[in-house]
Amino acid sequence: MTPLLMLEGLTKNFGERNLFDIERLVIRKACAYVLTGLNGTGKSTLLRILAGLESAQVGRASFLGAEMPLAPYPKTLRESIVYVHQHPVMFSTTVADNIGYGLHARGLAREEIFRRVEDAMEWAGVAHLRTSKPLTLSGGEKQRIALARAKVLEPKLLLLDEPTANLDGLAREQVIALIPSLTAAGSSVIMACHDRDLISLPHVERLKLRDGRLQARQNRVRAAS
Amino acid sequence: MHLIDAIRDAFALLFSGDAELWQVIWISLKTTLLALFLATPLAVIAGYAIAAHTFRGRRVAIWLVQASLSLPTVLIGLLLYLMLSRQGPLGNLHWLFSQSGIVAGQVLIALPVLVAFTLAATQAADPRIAETAVTLGASRWRAMCTVLHEVRFGVMAAIISGFGRVISEVGCAIMVGGNIAGETRTMTTAIALQTSKGEFAQGIALGIVLVALALLINAGLVLLQGDPRTARGAS
Repeated sequence: MTPLLMLEGLTKNFGERNLFDIERLVIRKACAYVLTGLNGTGKSTLLRILAGLESAQVGRASFLGAEMPLAPYPKTLRESIVYVHQHPVMFSTTVADNIGYGLHARGLAREEIFRRVEDAMEWAGVAHLRTSKPLTLSGGEKQRIALARAKVLEPKLLLLDEPTANLDGLAREQVIALIPSLTAAGSSVIMACHDRDLISLPHVERLKLRDGRLQARQNRVRAAS
Repeated sequence: MHLIDAIRDAFALLFSGDAELWQVIWISLKTTLLALFLATPLAVIAGYAIAAHTFRGRRVAIWLVQASLSLPTVLIGLLLYLMLSRQGPLGNLHWLFSQSGIVAGQVLIALPVLVAFTLAATQAADPRIAETAVTLGASRWRAMCTVLHEVRFGVMAAIISGFGRVISEVGCAIMVGGNIAGETRTMTTAIALQTSKGEFAQGIALGIVLVALALLINAGLVLLQGDPRTARGAS
């Protein structure tokens, strides 16, 4: 089966220092991955490279079987991959406008944008906040809005940088509960994280960055606890 | 003339609807607003471009922008005079001693202020704003508009500073405009002229208008900013 994304010979250097040297990275369609590793091993940097926000040396890259460079970042990848920051930034408009931002950028019809934004707000449990200014909301609400803002674009690959970092209690549980439905909707997800509850989600494959190398653990189906 | 008498006469002049006085005010506002209208888009885009992109010569560009903030307006007036004079490279425009000449000078005076303030506001913006816009599929233009919207209070402060610098300058307006009554006489050139003639009432009246404008515009900015605790980019 054709993988969603395949990279070979991915190297990231900061000056003389080599951060990582990844021989091969394969992301399959509609699969969830957790990217683990100690602080400073390059988890966020790897996600940012995949999102086209940082440069790197790449031997070979293909997306849905079509070979393409990562620099300049191709339009196909820009339309298919969405990255969510560890601390998502909210634009100082309303929650609904934030979620509809990418749809406006893609030039969708107003009715279609309205429908998709309403669905995404329901999905993320933020429909009651549609006219609120996100700058006044809690960290958990902002994270769910950021997930809705990404999901509404129906990306083929979603990159989440520490989606539950700095969240606790109900806010964290609410965010974790949204993840499985992303793959169920057909998106692949890579989450850089340390959160054991995310790592132990069912159907999640583990990628580990260690000593500049990427180790992939075979996908296993775990019983939901 | 006693100061109190001069202020009383100034208010009387203002409320009497003196045609000459209000014509001076109108010419000042017209040229200033037109200059800002022309300079702002160019300067805001330039300020954003310098702040948001890395390119060879970026530091030199920042240095030049900041250095030009301290250029005396009379020097800008002199250079523009030489450019617009009959033998100058822009002499064919016939802008010397005209409102067009004043507007050209005001554009040159406003540009560094607008660029420098926009640059500072954009540099202070959270870099995740542009990254988020881009990763959500925004074009470069839309990402720029998004960032500028987030730092809009900084940009508004730039425009207000530009307005203040332009409407209050006198050197360039005198050199390029020539202080012709009913044509190129602005508030500041009129104040300079009336004071030199010992007629303080009109000068004070125009000064009151300048101060009132400054207060009004800044009050508008404060109102627009709303609650600074929830307004990103409030400066």
